[in-house]
Amino acid sequence: MTDFDALLAALTSHEVAFIVVGGAAGIAHGSARLTEDLDIVYDRSSGNLVRLVAALSEHNPYLRGVPPGLPFHWDLTTLRRGLNFTLVTSLGDIDLLGEIPGGGSYSDLRSGAVELNLFGTQCLCLSVAQLIRAKRAAGRPRDLEALAELEAIEEELS
Amino acid sequence: MSFGEDSQDSEKDPVVEAYKKDIDRSLIRENLKLTVEERFRKAMALARFADELRRAGREARRPKK
Repeated sequence: MTDFDALLAALTSHEVAFIVVGGAAGIAHGSARLTEDLDIVYDRSSGNLVRLVAALSEHNPYLRGVPPGLPFHWDLTTLRRGLNFTLVTSLGDIDLLGEIPGGGSYSDLRSGAVELNLFGTQCLCLSVAQLIRAKRAAGRPRDLEALAELEAIEEELS
Repeated sequence: MSFGEDSQDSEKDPVVEAYKKDIDRSLIRENLKLTVEERFRKAMALARFADELRRAGREARRPKK
């Protein structure tokens, strides 16, 4: 089971630049939908990749859903070579996204993101409007269901 | 507690509108009364409950000796 507060603490204590997206962002805005992993868009600057590697190193990150024993090294080289990583860690499941459809990269999303005070730390999270655009762009059936709820949340907030 | 600007997209997707009819707005309204941290703690408690339900379901499906 994903330990959201411990994962967020691991990231913020290492000063990783990231934005909470996906289901966890929906929860921040009042969603009643269950999510079992933490999705983040992370800044891909060199310094931030170093910080991200350090943040998760002690939590045994490994690729989620692959045959056990598949070689995987959690290091800077791996992060530089890939963009999106679906990981299991000792703190639970986390998806590291370099960019998201309908939103773009960390730098694209940063200005519209909202700041959360959460579990004694501060982190960025997609706004409802950004989440709606991302879900529209993704367009899978489950995204359309989530989109309906987000639009309902937007209506309740207005 | 509200965040950010409106999506400002007036296009109504008929599929999304159909899903919206089944949204339980009472759950959203209850969540909107909570702080962000309270929303996460509630979600985490739900996730723990879901885990326990799955465990119980697996145990129930195990062949009885």
